[in-house]
Amino acid sequence: MPNNQFENNVLAKVKDLKVHFNSKRGVVHAVDGVDFEILNGETLGLVGETGCGKSVTGRSFLRLLPIPPGIIKDGAVNFKANLVCTRCSGKGCSECGKSGHKTEKGEQVDLLKISDTRMREIRGDRIAMIFQDPGKALNPTLTVGAQMAEVFLQHRSLEILDMAGLGQIKNKAILRFANQDVKVFDKILLLLPKARKQKLKVQEAVKIMVSKALSETQVPNPLKLLDRFPHELSGGMRQRVMIAQALACNPDLLIADEPTTALDVTVEARILELIRELQLKRRTSVLYISHDLSLVRRICDRVAVMYAGRIVEIGKAEEIFANPSHPYTRGLMAAVPSNGIPRGSLSAIKGTVPELIDPPDSCRFSGRCPYEVNGCRVNDPKLRKITESHSVACFINDASLSWCAPSFEGERV
Amino acid sequence: MKDSQKNYSDDLILSVEEVKKHYPIREGALQRIVGSVRAVDGVSLQLKRGKTLGIVGESGCGKTTLGRLISGLNDPTSGGVLYGGEEKFNRIDELKNIPLRNFRRNCQMVFQDSFASLNPRHLVADIVGRPLKVYKEATGADLLNRVVTLLEQVGLGREHLYRYPHQFSGGQRQRISIARAIALNPEIIVLDEPTSALDVSVQAQILNLLSDIQKARNLAYIFITHDLNVVRHMADDIVVMYLGKVVEAGSTEDIFEAPHHPYTKALISAKPDLDKANSENAIGLEGLIPDPARPPQGCRFHTRCVMATPDCGWEVDDVIRWLEDTPGMFEELVGVERKSEFSAVLTFSSEGAAANLIASARSEKLPLAMRQSLIKLNLNNEKVELAFKEVKEVALKSLGHRQSACVLSPEEVSKGAHYGN
Amino acid sequence: MTNPPQSSNITITKDSAFSVKINRFLALLQRLLSNPTTVIGLIIIGLMLSMAIFAPWITTANIPDPYQMPRDWGAVRKPPGEMGYLLGTTNEGGDVFYGIVWGSRTSLQLSIYVVGSTMIIGTIIGSIAGLLGGWVDEVLMRIVDVFLSIPELIFALAIAAVLGPSFTNIIIALSLVIWVKYARIMRAQVLQIKQNDFVDAARIVGDSKFNIYIKDILPNAVTPVTVQATLDMGNVVLIGATLSFIGLSEAGIAEWGVLVSEGQAGIASGRWWASTFPGLMIFLWALAFNLLGDGLRDALDPRLEDR
Repeated sequence: MPNNQFENNVLAKVKDLKVHFNSKRGVVHAVDGVDFEILNGETLGLVGETGCGKSVTGRSFLRLLPIPPGIIKDGAVNFKANLVCTRCSGKGCSECGKSGHKTEKGEQVDLLKISDTRMREIRGDRIAMIFQDPGKALNPTLTVGAQMAEVFLQHRSLEILDMAGLGQIKNKAILRFANQDVKVFDKILLLLPKARKQKLKVQEAVKIMVSKALSETQVPNPLKLLDRFPHELSGGMRQRVMIAQALACNPDLLIADEPTTALDVTVEARILELIRELQLKRRTSVLYISHDLSLVRRICDRVAVMYAGRIVEIGKAEEIFANPSHPYTRGLMAAVPSNGIPRGSLSAIKGTVPELIDPPDSCRFSGRCPYEVNGCRVNDPKLRKITESHSVACFINDASLSWCAPSFEGERV
Repeated sequence: MKDSQKNYSDDLILSVEEVKKHYPIREGALQRIVGSVRAVDGVSLQLKRGKTLGIVGESGCGKTTLGRLISGLNDPTSGGVLYGGEEKFNRIDELKNIPLRNFRRNCQMVFQDSFASLNPRHLVADIVGRPLKVYKEATGADLLNRVVTLLEQVGLGREHLYRYPHQFSGGQRQRISIARAIALNPEIIVLDEPTSALDVSVQAQILNLLSDIQKARNLAYIFITHDLNVVRHMADDIVVMYLGKVVEAGSTEDIFEAPHHPYTKALISAKPDLDKANSENAIGLEGLIPDPARPPQGCRFHTRCVMATPDCGWEVDDVIRWLEDTPGMFEELVGVERKSEFSAVLTFSSEGAAANLIASARSEKLPLAMRQSLIKLNLNNEKVELAFKEVKEVALKSLGHRQSACVLSPEEVSKGAHYGN
Repeated sequence: MTNPPQSSNITITKDSAFSVKINRFLALLQRLLSNPTTVIGLIIIGLMLSMAIFAPWITTANIPDPYQMPRDWGAVRKPPGEMGYLLGTTNEGGDVFYGIVWGSRTSLQLSIYVVGSTMIIGTIIGSIAGLLGGWVDEVLMRIVDVFLSIPELIFALAIAAVLGPSFTNIIIALSLVIWVKYARIMRAQVLQIKQNDFVDAARIVGDSKFNIYIKDILPNAVTPVTVQATLDMGNVVLIGATLSFIGLSEAGIAEWGVLVSEGQAGIASGRWWASTFPGLMIFLWALAFNLLGDGLRDALDPRLEDR
């Protein structure tokens, strides 16, 4: 087997991902050949406008796509899963072969191809996701405490039992309770006085864990929050609950799909700060999906710009903002109303996003690009390096071509 | 009715005077009114012909409600929106018949949700042609031609006449909305977050369009938004709202250059800016936006302001909020006897808890400004008697062409001094 | 720039308001017909309708009143199969086949009168409640609640019993029971649609309240009402037949429920045909309209409309 293992600092690698959707009008190539890496402990921003495929890309990590009408046409999402054995919590037992881990440390899995069981183990545990509208992502019928308890019991039941001082317990009923696997007769067994006391201890332990997680997200009085329902909370609070839930198991990768779009600007600033703090503290990697370039600049180490199902530019944040090299990126930056631009002359990208059905074999941005030349209409650019870390999918300044499009001619964005 | 006409300058087209909009909260089987949500609580502003007035604020500040009051969709609880058409300024909620029709023709609106603001069962031709039909301005082929002209002015065309809204993109639907709004050649258009739901590149197109139309027709815009970049670009003058009140007003340039109010300052710095690299001085605000049914006393922003002083209106509710946020304290609170917003007797479940509050109130656990605003703090077994300095309201002060509702001077605000430092 | 209207495969090319609306309608038809159960329902309804329309040509009308079952004392209790008495005869020599055919007419009348009147009355009352709100709404809705608290069948039974056995009274009874459904639906729709920005937009344009109701609210409210009406076309006949079966209708008329009722005594003696065939018709009628109603609900769902 050739060595396609990751380099040490790579956590995930997306290779030629293609996700298509069947629709009445044809096959929509929502994601059409996307390649990128996520490094350990970094925040990668995935930026693009509506319909560029960023959300679909993010969701492919967790296979949260509706299939059908979606099909994963091609590609792989390789991930260094590091599943801790739930039986022994990493201490080593017979089930995990004394290693403490369910998978070979550093073993690569293709998230698109692993079994559903394995995916369920990874979801929430190694990879977590937070969504745009916390109101919709939280269960409206459960209190915050109950919801978070579910998550913790699901993934960290052994720790909880330990905390409750019941680490060595043999009582199957309690074990099942801790694993949220209560059977019918357990309900009776749990009524026995000894079992009741133990059950309470477990619940106390869960409560403590949940409060601790919530206070890490700067919630002022977590205990009070436990009895509230999501609809009683403000948007910022709900988002904090979601973040606390997502980070419950110390995941390796956090995927954030526009988490602050529905929030006020002042709350947004706090939540961004929070995500950055938590990320630095726990060394989680974050895939931050957004349509807002300026936001992404604040917290991302590297940025990938998506357009029409492809990545058109990727590189370190400073590089991209200092030297945007794809006409679309430049167009996006110029379109933001910033200081000094007279009214009526905002630089708008002409035209609209193309239909992603049967895309032609040309640069997808042609027709809207102010720098295009004939060659752009018959050739499809691939990502090529400008510097070690900065790549762009454009023919501008491509020294290897004879016909390449002229440079930006010193235009400042 | 209206008394003698105030002196309104010639270039004024709309004057909003102390409007309030309160929504009653009813409870119980008999639906008694137990309070009211003060969505808009005494706002005044003026709109000049051909100019854009931006109304900025976050959710719950009342800007949408204000927009609806200005366009006449809702009537104010008190105060008036005065329209200056036909030389005289009249309250729009008192207009009837012809003067009312005249106002309606001259004040149109563009909504945030382009999908919900177009009837999904109507064709574009019907939607844009409707204003013309209602005022009987044109019929038949003439009507169609005028609709086509309007569509062309917003960047669409004849081929879009016979389509349904769902067949268009968000940006195109907003164009249709705009075409409908300018059909009758109004003097005023109220735009309620017209580009908030659009992608950045589409937003740029629409903002350009709005500017062009404004110049061509000398339109006055009321531009409601939460996006500071957009308002800076589009508005000549700005009004900043917080919890139903105006906290700052002035020209766009002046306000962005030197905000006079701490809230404006916080808003500006919270907004990520492409120009600034890794803006580390992005201040997010602590705390939550308070309940508009029980707005804070004094300056409504004092609960979250980093520059609050003892004169900002500290009250009993602030103590209650602090208790709520402190683990272990709130559960001990048994009863609250209010004598006023500023003084009350708090009963705790134990003497220890009461003493705890007294101790905290004298320590760094409470903000210095809050502590210094206390004029009474007594321990009486399990009861704590407290009273704050009464500051009912912090009024808008005028400084030249600027207005700001803050006890601090503009210099103090720009220095960002925290009280006590 | 824009997506061309993807209505259906059959498109009228000339671009005009009329053609676009026709295309939309055709698209709706296509969606309807794409569902096999709906097609079955439509076929059955088609057959029933033809039966009703062409009744006088299918079987000779009985004089003086074609809705009275013919009595032929010489041909009582005949089993099915004989020429002229295809499905057998009743206790009084009435041709069961005649009863089926003319019964379809009665069923059609029953459903149209009941559903037609209740739809109109219910819509008006529901709209008033939704538009005016306040105490008008409260009063009307309490009345509706009272009506709704009584089970349909029992209520209809009670009314019919009070009014006396006749076909007209059955129509009245059913109408009184069903109108509340439409009032409820319409009120809910009006309340929901009122909140939309496009209603505000119409107000800002300055259109009259009445116009706004007709142009903006009503067209968007009709979908659930239409679906309910279709379902009720089937169910009304079902309930009506039940009432007839109990004896609250006129005896001897060509109505499926009456026929079932009159023929049931013979079942013990093995004369199954007099009740079974009319019973089958009732079942088919109700089934067909239910299938159509379900299909309509899916086809009219705006979310499934072509983008």
